[in-house]
Amino acid sequence: MYIAGLLMGIVAGFVMHRSDYCVTGMFRDAILFKNFFMLRSLLLQVTVSMIFFETLRRSHFLPLFPFPLLAPPALSNIVGGMVFGLGMVLAGGCVVGTLYKLGAGSLISATAFLGLILGSALYAELHPWWASLVRQTVLTKEALTLPALLNIDPTLVILTVALPASWLCIRWWQTGRLTINTSVRGYLQPWKAALILAVIGASSYVAIGMPMGITNTYAKFAAIIENAIIPAHVSRNPFFAAQPLDIVHPASGALLHGGAGPALDSIWTIQFPLIAGIILGSFISALLLKEYLWHTRIPGRQLAMAFIGGIILALGSRMTPGCNIWHLMGGLPILALSSLLFVIGLLPGAWLGSKILTRVVMSSSRG
Amino acid sequence: MSDSIYKEIVIDIRGQVCPSTLLATMAEMNEHQKELLNGEISLLIISDNRHAIATIPETARNMGYRVEVKQELGFYSIRIGHENGN
Repeated sequence: MYIAGLLMGIVAGFVMHRSDYCVTGMFRDAILFKNFFMLRSLLLQVTVSMIFFETLRRSHFLPLFPFPLLAPPALSNIVGGMVFGLGMVLAGGCVVGTLYKLGAGSLISATAFLGLILGSALYAELHPWWASLVRQTVLTKEALTLPALLNIDPTLVILTVALPASWLCIRWWQTGRLTINTSVRGYLQPWKAALILAVIGASSYVAIGMPMGITNTYAKFAAIIENAIIPAHVSRNPFFAAQPLDIVHPASGALLHGGAGPALDSIWTIQFPLIAGIILGSFISALLLKEYLWHTRIPGRQLAMAFIGGIILALGSRMTPGCNIWHLMGGLPILALSSLLFVIGLLPGAWLGSKILTRVVMSSSRG
Repeated sequence: MSDSIYKEIVIDIRGQVCPSTLLATMAEMNEHQKELLNGEISLLIISDNRHAIATIPETARNMGYRVEVKQELGFYSIRIGHENGN
């Protein structure tokens, strides 16, 4: 499992660096510049994942459906999505984008990474209060996905969404709106990255019972650091004590068990190799292109923004809970209700972030 | 170049947060539109942002500028000017 996660991470990191597949940038550029080029590739990825997941489910390759750790829909998903959207734009990348940029030598993303760990530690303190709010805003516990809510055969609902979306992607493909002419070294067209990532997402779901997700491990990093300094405080913290993952994978018989605490449990085994792999894959890609260089002359205001952005991003990812990769590339393709609510919150959050970001950049970028 | 009226504005965006490259380029293009279009000045943008390098040339070309992208060691430079310029 360790090797599989690492390999998936390396390929994902490599591909993301080559096409600069930044989900934050996709939303931000659509909002700021009305540029939908990258967002089209994301839609392609979600559509293809939808078809993959449904085909796999029907062929009994996804015994855990919907996947574990998927929360019931709650209004708190929207609030978490907003906080997440704000944080990712300020941090210059989401929880995954930060990793591949860090791997390629971005000081901004390294700063955001530290913010993410601090934000995760902060959330652990706020958890009891937020968890009670989540309980009060749960919309239904009966249905986790839209087909379940409508009580209609999932295949029918998936096809209703995936067929028009596929048609749209094919139109874009035919009119050349998915490709770009560029002289950037080793550039991978984003639509190719979208297809590769859809395959990795589906492999992850089959191999470990869940789509790609990594945010719990940010909390775990925080727990490990805190545990070395104030172990008594960590052992009393209900967020670190909780074990939300507790299930036997029917296909492999593996016991998946764990939480955000400092223990190196299944969450660690599943997510840490992925995190390390993404950083490593991007590092290898940048090195091969001779683009691995740390530029350090960066305006202080931008570094401060990335750090604060990282903290906000971590808070959002625990409040939602989950990250944009988990929701957009895992939840959305099965029409998970919490993921749909997350996206509703993500848009205004990213809009607000884009406005703040523009101010900070315009007052600092040209010296 | 020092004895001509031709001037080059250099903007170094290396390492900065996305989308600094595009925001700064747009701001310079708007601010110096007249001089850029009659060839008095050109912009030299230095960046390591792959996405910006992939997308800015097309944006600038659509606005009527001449664009040249050069691969340097560890970064890229984009020169934006006009057909009349040098």
